[in-house]
Amino acid sequence: MFRTRSLAAATLGLTLLISACGGRPAAPSPSGGTSGTSLSGRTIALVGYGNGNPWGAYFNKVFTERLAPTGVKIGDMTTMDPGTQVQKFNQAVAQKPDLIVVSILDTTAMAVPIKKAGAAGVPVLVFDGPPDPSVADAVMSVLSDNEKLGEYAAQNIIEGLKAQGRDSGDIIVLTGTKSMLVTQHRMKGFNKVLATAPQYKVVDEQDANWDPQLSGTIAQQLLAKHGKDGVQAAYGMADYMALPIIQAAKQAGFTIGGKDGLIVTSSNCFKAGIDSIKAGELYGTATEDPGTIAEQTADYVVRYLTGKNPPRSETVQEERVTAANVGEFAEQCSHA
Amino acid sequence: MTAETGAVAADGSARRWPPRVVTAGLAVILLALLLIPAVTTPRFLTLDNARAILASAAFVGITSVGATMVMIAGSGVSLATSQIATVVAMFFLGTQHLGLGAALLIALAAGVALNAFQGAVIGYWKADPIVLTIAGGFAIGGAATWFSGGTTVYPGARGFEVLNATPLGLPLAVYVLLAVTVVVEWTLRRTTAGRQMYLVGENRAAARAAGLPVGRVTVLAWAVSGACVALTGVFLASFTTSATVTLGGTLTLDAIAAVLVGGTAISGGHGSAVRTLGGAVLISVISDVLLLRGYSTGVQILVKGVLVLTVVLVVHVRSGRGRR
Repeated sequence: MFRTRSLAAATLGLTLLISACGGRPAAPSPSGGTSGTSLSGRTIALVGYGNGNPWGAYFNKVFTERLAPTGVKIGDMTTMDPGTQVQKFNQAVAQKPDLIVVSILDTTAMAVPIKKAGAAGVPVLVFDGPPDPSVADAVMSVLSDNEKLGEYAAQNIIEGLKAQGRDSGDIIVLTGTKSMLVTQHRMKGFNKVLATAPQYKVVDEQDANWDPQLSGTIAQQLLAKHGKDGVQAAYGMADYMALPIIQAAKQAGFTIGGKDGLIVTSSNCFKAGIDSIKAGELYGTATEDPGTIAEQTADYVVRYLTGKNPPRSETVQEERVTAANVGEFAEQCSHA
Repeated sequence: MTAETGAVAADGSARRWPPRVVTAGLAVILLALLLIPAVTTPRFLTLDNARAILASAAFVGITSVGATMVMIAGSGVSLATSQIATVVAMFFLGTQHLGLGAALLIALAAGVALNAFQGAVIGYWKADPIVLTIAGGFAIGGAATWFSGGTTVYPGARGFEVLNATPLGLPLAVYVLLAVTVVVEWTLRRTTAGRQMYLVGENRAAARAAGLPVGRVTVLAWAVSGACVALTGVFLASFTTSATVTLGGTLTLDAIAAVLVGGTAISGGHGSAVRTLGGAVLISVISDVLLLRGYSTGVQILVKGVLVLTVVLVVHVRSGRGRR
C-alpha cells in the first residue's frame, strides 16, 4: 500500500512540476506584414492540425509567431483526431471568439459544427483543405491548390517517362485518405494531366491513409504484384509516402530514376524529399509547405480582424519542384 | 469422449482444446488459405510475391513475437507499442552521428527501459496493464511531441542504410524476425525464466504463493518485448529514413492481432512465438491476396478484423470455457 501511495504521489508531483514549468516561451517575433497592427483584446480559436504532425507543428509555429506582435490572443485547440476536432470546434463556438481558424480533418463531420458556428454568429476561416461543399459559402478560406499539386505529380511522371524514351508506362498510386477532399482534388488534377498522355496509365491505386509504414507495405505488395516490367512509375501523395515506395522498390531489386529506373514522384514537400531529389531518387514533388500557407493565413486573419474585407477565398500558389529547381525550394521545403 | 476432443461435457461446458489440436487446426486453415489463392490468384505463386509477403510481415512480426511473451506471462497486451517504437526510431535517427553501433545500443536501451519500467509497475505493483499502457502511451507520445516540437527527426549520418540491405534477396528485417522467433521460442521452452512465464500467466496468485519471482518474471517478459519493439523501431526508421511522432502508426493493434491469430491465450499461460510468427505471416498473406485481387485497403483491414474475431471466438472463448 505504501509503495502504491508513493508511486501515486511521485506521479502527481512530476505532473505538477511539468505544469509549473509552463509552456514554451514565445518565440521571437519575426518581421512581416502583421507587425505594427494591434489586435489586442481580440481572440482566435486555432482548431488546426496537432503538433503531433510535422506539417501541423510548423504551421502552428509560424502562424503563432506571425500573429504574436499584434497582441491577438490565440487559443490552442489543435488536434489530429477528427472526433476530438468536432468537440473542440463546438467548445470554440461556445467561447465566441472573434474568429475560429480551422484545418478540417473530416469534411463531412465538420459540416454541422460549421453551420452551428454560423448560427451563433462566429466567423470561421478554413485553411489548407476545403470544407464540405454544403458549407463552402458559410466560411472564409485560405486553401492549398490541391488540384494543382496533383497536376504537378502527373507532369513529373510524364516528363520522367518521356525522358527515358518510354512509349508506354504503368503507374501505381498510393493516395492519402481517400475520403478527404484534399486527396480527391489531387487525384482530379493528376488524372486530368495524365489523360493528356494516354500511353501512360494507372494500373493500381490504393489508399495508404497518409501513413508511411502502410505506404511501404502496400508498395512492397504492388511491386511484387506487377513485377519489374509491370511498373514504370509511382506516385506517393506526400514525400513521406513516396520515400517508402523508393525503399520498397530498392529492396525488390528495382532501379530508381536514371535512364531506365522507376520514376517516383510526390506532391507535397518535406526535407527528406528534397534530399532524395538531390540524391537523384525522387523525381519531383511540389510545395504546399506549411510555412507559406501559415504566413498567408496569418496575413488573412489580420486583414479580416482590421476590417479590410479580404476576398472570401484565397488560394496559395503552389510550385512544382524537380532536380532542375530543387535549390530554389530547398529552404522553403525543409521545415517539416 | 476424451479431454482431447474439446466436445461439450455433461454440464454443458466445453473442454479445453489442447495446444496440439489448436496448432494443427490453425496449420490446416493456414494451408487452405495458402493453397486456395495459390491456385486462383494470378502472380501469387511467384518468388517476388513470397518475398513481399515476408517483407511486409517483418516489422509487425518482430514486435508481435516479443508481445507473445508478455501475453503468455499474463500481462495481456501493451497499448503503448506504437509510441515506444516511434520514440526509439527518433533516438536511433537522432544519434546516427555517433555511429551505427552506438545508435543501435541507445535505441535498444530506450526500448528495453521504457517497456521494462511498465513491466515493473505491473509485476511489482500489480497495475492493470491496459490502464497503465494507455497512460504510458499518452505520456510517451506527449513527451515525444513536447521534446521534438512535432518536427521530423532526420539522421545526421547515413550509417543506418546498411539495415535496408537484402541478403539473398530478402530484407534484413526478415532474418531478424526469424532469429527473434527462435530466441524467444527457445527462451520460453528451454529456460527456467520461460517456463516461469507460463506458470505466472496460468495463475498469478498460485505462482506467487509457490514462491515464484512474479515481479522479476514479468519485468523480464516486458524487457524482451521492449527489445523487439526497439528492433521494429530501428528498422522502421531505416526504411522511412526519417521519424515523426506518428511513425508507429497502427503497430500496436497489428501486433496484438498477430499474437491473437497465432492462438496465444490473451489470459496468459499458453502460446508460442512460432505460432505468432504464423499469425503475422497469415495476416500478411491475406492482405496480399486481397491486394492481388484488387480489393481496397479498407477491405483488407476489415478482413483482418474478422479473422482476429474468428480466432478469438473459436480458440480463446472455447478454450476459456473449458477452464471453468
